[in-house]
Amino acid sequence: MEPPENYSTDTSFAVPFEDAQKIILRWDSTASEEARERMIFDGDRQEVDLYLQAVDEIQKSMSSTSISSPSSDHRDQDNNDSNKVNSAIQIAMARLEDEFRNILINNTSPVEVDSLVVSDHASASASAASLSHNTSSLRSSDEFDREEVGGGGGSGDHGDALDPIHRADSSNSSASYRSTSSIREIDLIPQEAVADLQSIARRMISAGYLRECIQVYGSVRKSAVDASFRRLGIEKLSIGDIQRLEWEALETKIRRWIRAAKACVRILFASEKKLCEEIFYGIGTAIDDACFVETVKGPAIQLFNFAEAISISRRSPEKMFKILDLHDALMDLLPDIEVVFESKSADSIRVQAAEILSRLAEAARGILSEFESAVLREPSVVPVPGGTIHPLTRYVMNYICLISDYKQTLIDLIMSKPSTGSRYSGDPTTPDMEFAELEGKTPLALHLIWIIVILQFNLEGKSKHYKDASLAHLFMMNNVHYIVQKIKRSPELREMIGDDYLRKLTGKFRQAATSYQRATWVSVLYCLRDEGLHVSGSFSSGVSKSALRERFKTFNAMFEDVHRTQATWLIPDSQLREELRISISEKLIPAYRSFLGRFRIHIESGKHPENYIKYSVEDLESAVLDFFEGYPVSQHLRRRSQ
Amino acid sequence: MPATEHQPSFLGRISIRRNQVIAMDGNHEQELEDLELFQRHTGDRFADLLSPPDNQDSPLTGESFLSISWLRKLVDVLLCCEAEFKAVLIMGREPSQISKPPLDRLLSDFMERSVKVLDICNAVATGVDSIRQCQKLAEIVVSALEQKPIGDGQVKRARKALSALMSALTIDDKENNHSRYAERTWSFGRRGNNSGGNHKDRANHGSLRSSSMVVAKNWSAAKQIQAMCSNLAVPRGGESTGLAQPVYIMSNVMVFVMWALVAAIPCQERSGLPTHFQIPKQFGWAHSIIGMQEKIGEEWKKKEKKGSAGLLEEMQRMEKLGQSLIEFADGFQFPAEAEKLEEVAAQVAELAEICRRMEEGLMPLQQQIREVFHRIVRSRTEVLDSLDNGKVSQPIM
Repeated sequence: MEPPENYSTDTSFAVPFEDAQKIILRWDSTASEEARERMIFDGDRQEVDLYLQAVDEIQKSMSSTSISSPSSDHRDQDNNDSNKVNSAIQIAMARLEDEFRNILINNTSPVEVDSLVVSDHASASASAASLSHNTSSLRSSDEFDREEVGGGGGSGDHGDALDPIHRADSSNSSASYRSTSSIREIDLIPQEAVADLQSIARRMISAGYLRECIQVYGSVRKSAVDASFRRLGIEKLSIGDIQRLEWEALETKIRRWIRAAKACVRILFASEKKLCEEIFYGIGTAIDDACFVETVKGPAIQLFNFAEAISISRRSPEKMFKILDLHDALMDLLPDIEVVFESKSADSIRVQAAEILSRLAEAARGILSEFESAVLREPSVVPVPGGTIHPLTRYVMNYICLISDYKQTLIDLIMSKPSTGSRYSGDPTTPDMEFAELEGKTPLALHLIWIIVILQFNLEGKSKHYKDASLAHLFMMNNVHYIVQKIKRSPELREMIGDDYLRKLTGKFRQAATSYQRATWVSVLYCLRDEGLHVSGSFSSGVSKSALRERFKTFNAMFEDVHRTQATWLIPDSQLREELRISISEKLIPAYRSFLGRFRIHIESGKHPENYIKYSVEDLESAVLDFFEGYPVSQHLRRRSQ
Repeated sequence: MPATEHQPSFLGRISIRRNQVIAMDGNHEQELEDLELFQRHTGDRFADLLSPPDNQDSPLTGESFLSISWLRKLVDVLLCCEAEFKAVLIMGREPSQISKPPLDRLLSDFMERSVKVLDICNAVATGVDSIRQCQKLAEIVVSALEQKPIGDGQVKRARKALSALMSALTIDDKENNHSRYAERTWSFGRRGNNSGGNHKDRANHGSLRSSSMVVAKNWSAAKQIQAMCSNLAVPRGGESTGLAQPVYIMSNVMVFVMWALVAAIPCQERSGLPTHFQIPKQFGWAHSIIGMQEKIGEEWKKKEKKGSAGLLEEMQRMEKLGQSLIEFADGFQFPAEAEKLEEVAAQVAELAEICRRMEEGLMPLQQQIREVFHRIVRSRTEVLDSLDNGKVSQPIM
C-alpha cells in the first residue's frame, strides 16, 4: 500500500508523524464533542489541507512499520507502534468516511429534469450550483407530464435555435425533452465538491478502505436516484398489477414511461456514470464502474420492469400500436443503454433491455397473427342493412392503415410470411392465397395482402346471409370498393399492397357490380324482349295484344318492386353509386325506349293505355336516381308528369 | 413462429410421437405414459434434493440444505420440470385440446399463478442483490481481521462493519422503513441526531430495504404465495387422468420452489408467509416436496421468532459468526491472547469461505432465477396462444 504522492501542491506543508497523529486524534469523533459536531470539509480549507496531509503522513508511516522486520527483542515495541498507527488510520478513515458521506449528502438533490435545458446553455459549474441549491422551482410530476405532451418527438436539436426562447422565459421548458434524444451528462455535484470527494476517495482506497468507500457512495447516490425517479413519475408496479390494469390506463403509462426512460438513460444514468468517473478517476480501473453499477442497478431494473411487464401482457389487436411505440422507443434507446452500461458488471442490464426489445418484437408479431385469426373468425352473422360497408371492413382497413404508418418498424419485425399454408392447409374454412405472383414483396406486405384476403373471405361468408342475391353482390361490391379506396388513400399502404393486387381488387368489385346487375336486371329486361309477342299465322298485325299487355304489366310490377327495394339499399360512395346507376340506365333506358317505340302503338290503340304504359322513359330515368340512397321512397313511382 | 425451434431434441420426439399416435388411433396411451413419466421424474428430482445421493450433507462442502448451491439445484429442478411440463401440455397438441373446459379454467388459473411467479422471481433476484450487500460488509470484516497483528484499528474497523452486517442480517421485513438514507453507520452522532448515543444501536441497514423496493410498496411476497395456493385444487374423477394432473403437479412445483426461495432469500414483506400448504400425501411425486416443506417450515417458524433476513444457510452462518466476532470486538484489548486470536482466525477464515461461496454462487443463482422468469414468460405466451387459438372466436371490435 503506497501512500499517494501528489495530494498537495506544496510538499513543504508536510507534517511530522507526531503532529499528524495529534491532528487525527483531535478529530476523533468518538473522543470529543467538538469533533462530533463539526465537519472538517464544512469549514476552513486550511484545516482540510492539514487533515489530509496528516492522513498521508500516517499512511506513510504505516507502510514503513509494516515493512520493518521485527527482531525478537523489539517485537513488542514494534507491535505497539504498529497498533498505534493502525489505530490512527482507523480513526482517520472513519472520519474520512463520514466526511465523504457528508459532502455527498449536502450536495445531493434530486435532478430537476425541467432545468436540464437551462443547464444545457449555462456553464457547467453554474448549472451544477443551480441544480443543487435551487429547489424552489421544483415541479410536480403532473406539471411535468402536461408539458411533455407537446414536446415529445422533438428533432433532438437543442442548440442555439432554442436559446432565445429559453432566455426570454426561463420557466418555460416545453422543449426540455428535446434534449433527451442523445446522451447528455450534467453535473450532479459541483466540481469543488467532486474534487474533495476525489481526494478523500484516493486516501480511503489507498488505505484499503475501498469497500467502505463504495458502500457509502452507493447508499447516498442510490437514494438520490430514487428521489429523481419519484420526480420523473416512475411508478413501482408489479407485473401482476400491470396485468390487471385497463389497457387505456396503460397507454398513458406507456407514453409517460417512454419519456421517463429517455431522461433516465440519457441524463440520469449517464450523469451518475460521469460522476463516478470523476470521483474515482485514475484510482483503479474498475472502481468507478463498481460504484456506478452499485448505484443504478436497482433503479435500472425497476425502470425496465414496466416495459417487461408490458411485453408479456396478453396479446390483443388494440395493443399493437402502443407496443410498437414502446418498441421503437427502446430500440432508439438501446445504443445509449449499451454505452451507459458498457461494463461487464452491467451486463445484466444491457441483456435485459435487449430481451425486452425482442419480446416486444415478438409481441408485435404475435398480435399481428392474433389479428389475422381474429379477422378470419370474426363471427357476426347479422347482415348489415342495405348491403353497406361492414364495421369489420372499416375496422380492419383502419387497422392496416395504422400498420402501414409503422411500416419502418414492422418491416424489420415481420420476417416470416403469413402462415397460410401450414396452418390452414386443406381447410375449407380458410381462403387460399397465391404467393407465386407476389414475388419480391416484403413479408409485411404479404401479411397485409393476406389480411385483405381473409377479410374478403369472411365478408363473402357474411354475404351469404343476405336472402337477396343481388344485395349480397352489392354488399361485396361496396366492401371491396371501400378496401380499394382505403388503399389508394394511403401512399404507404398502396406501395406495399402494390398495383397488381390493387388491380385485382378493383376487378373484384367491378365483378361484383356486374353480378349484381345480372342478378337484378336480367329478369327485368327479359320483359322487354320481342319473342313471344308475335302471333304466328295471324295476318292482322302480328302482335298479340294480350301478351303485350301482360308484358307491360309484368315489367311495371318488377320495376316497381326493384325500385322500392333497392332505393333502401345503400352505396355510401357517391361516385360508385353514380356509376352503377348510369350503368343501370345505360341498359334499361335504351331497351325500354326501343320496346316502347315498337309496341306503344298497339297499346295506345286499345282501351286504357295508361294501365299498361305507366312510365315514360323520363320517369324511369328519374326513378333510377332513387336507387341506393339508403332510404325508402316516400311515394310510389311517379307517373308520367303531364 | 415454430415453437420447437429452441427445444431440446427429446421434446421434439415427444411431439412427433404424439402426433403419430393421435393420428393413428387417437387413444391416449401415449399421453398416459408421458404423464406417468412426468410424475416419476418430478418425484425423482425432488428426492435427490431432499437427500443428495452422495450424502454430502456437511456445511463444509457447501452442499447443505438451503445453501446457495442447494438453491441453485432447486431452481434447476424447477427448470427441468417446467421443460417437461411444457412438452406434456403443449407440444404437438391441437390448441382445441387444451382450450376446452375444465382445462381452460385450470390453465387460466395457472397463468395467474405464473404471473405471480414472475413477480416473485424479480423480488428474489433483488433479494440476491441485498445478500451481496451483506457479502460486501462481511468482506470488510474479513479484510480488517485478516491482518496481523490485530490491533485496535482493525478491530474498530471490523466492529463498524459488523454492526452494519448484523442489522442487515437480522432485519425484519415487517419494519418497512423506506426512508433510510445510508446503510453504513455514521461513526458519531450528527447534528443533534441522537448525538453521543451508542452507534451500534443506530446502525443503519438500508441495504435490504432500499434495494428490495423494485416492486410496488404494497407488494407482499407472502400474499403472492398465499394467492398462488388459494385455488389449487386436487384434480378429481375424470380430471385426475387427464391434463389437469400435470397442471396440478406443475403448480405445486412452482409454489413450492417459490416458497422456498422466498423463505431463504430476503424478500419484500414476508410476514404471514405460510409455513405449510396442503399437498395430498397419496401422490408419489409429492413425498419429497412434503418432506422438504416440513423441514423448511420448521426453520421458518424459528426464523420468524428471531427475525433474521432469510433461511439461506450461508446467511445463517454469517449471522452466527458475526455475533461471535462482535463479542470478540467488544471485549478486545490489545494485545489479544493467542488462544483467542486463533479462535478468531478460524472464524474469520470461515467467514471468508462464506464470502467466497457467495461470490461464486450468488450471480449464477440470480441468472438462474432470471432464466426461470424467461421460461415462464415463454410458456405463458405459448399457452395463451393455444387458449386463444382454440377458443370459439369473439368479436374483435
